[in-house]
Amino acid sequence: MADLPGYLHACLNTGKLASLAILVSGGIVLQILACALYNNWWPMLSVLTYVLLPMPLLFFAGSDDSIFSESDNSWVNFTKFLTGASTVGGIAIPSILKHAGVIGWGAFAMELSSYFVFGMAVICYLWMSGDDDYSIL
Amino acid sequence: MDLLELWAIFGPGVAGAVFGAGWWIWLDAVVCSLVTVPFLHYLPGIFASFAALMFNCVRKEDIDYSPYDEGEWRLKLWLFIAYVVSFVSLAGSAGLLIQDSLDKSAPSVWTGVAGVLQCVFVLISGLVYWTSHPE
Repeated sequence: MADLPGYLHACLNTGKLASLAILVSGGIVLQILACALYNNWWPMLSVLTYVLLPMPLLFFAGSDDSIFSESDNSWVNFTKFLTGASTVGGIAIPSILKHAGVIGWGAFAMELSSYFVFGMAVICYLWMSGDDDYSIL
Repeated sequence: MDLLELWAIFGPGVAGAVFGAGWWIWLDAVVCSLVTVPFLHYLPGIFASFAALMFNCVRKEDIDYSPYDEGEWRLKLWLFIAYVVSFVSLAGSAGLLIQDSLDKSAPSVWTGVAGVLQCVFVLISGLVYWTSHPE
């Protein structure tokens, strides 16, 4: 956006960062509420999937944007496979806990809301990383 | 970009998600079962995962479709064995579903249904990965 002044562009970027921080905080609050409101800490198992989710990208893929491009590299395809397999755990663990009767509907709804808020934060972060930082000046 | 490029970009991720969904469904059946699930019931899922791994080990450019020369018969034998393992695992899970529905002391019908769903999802993830990666 060449027509905006530089300080307004920087202000908008600060707004993006603030909304990303609000999303992450909202996800953490929903996660802790799902455990603390019912005094039942089994939904904390979902935190394992949040920890596991970026690990294939950290270990196997490089620093480029290879997850959003077509690649002939077997390691990049394997990275995508592991990321997809880790993603399902965030939905599967609350579903199995609900089916087994360990948690109720309220905790289940808060778990899924926390998962989707975190997912939205990750997608916003990846979208923000696509901007180049030199367009502010 | 067209649909084929989108499939090549997001296909391995979708394959991983379908694979994870299959194994999580089976874990749900094992956790919620009232009786202990014997190890025999685990085998169709394990063999389906092994079959999906088998036919994704093949590089697609190595498959020779020439009608004149003798092609890579070892590669085709490997793919045939992978197909046989996948079919036998699917048939085995269907047989265990029928056994679970008939026998009263066996695990419940949901365990059999989850076994069939696990095999189907794992094999679908193998097919998705095969069709999506371009190598």
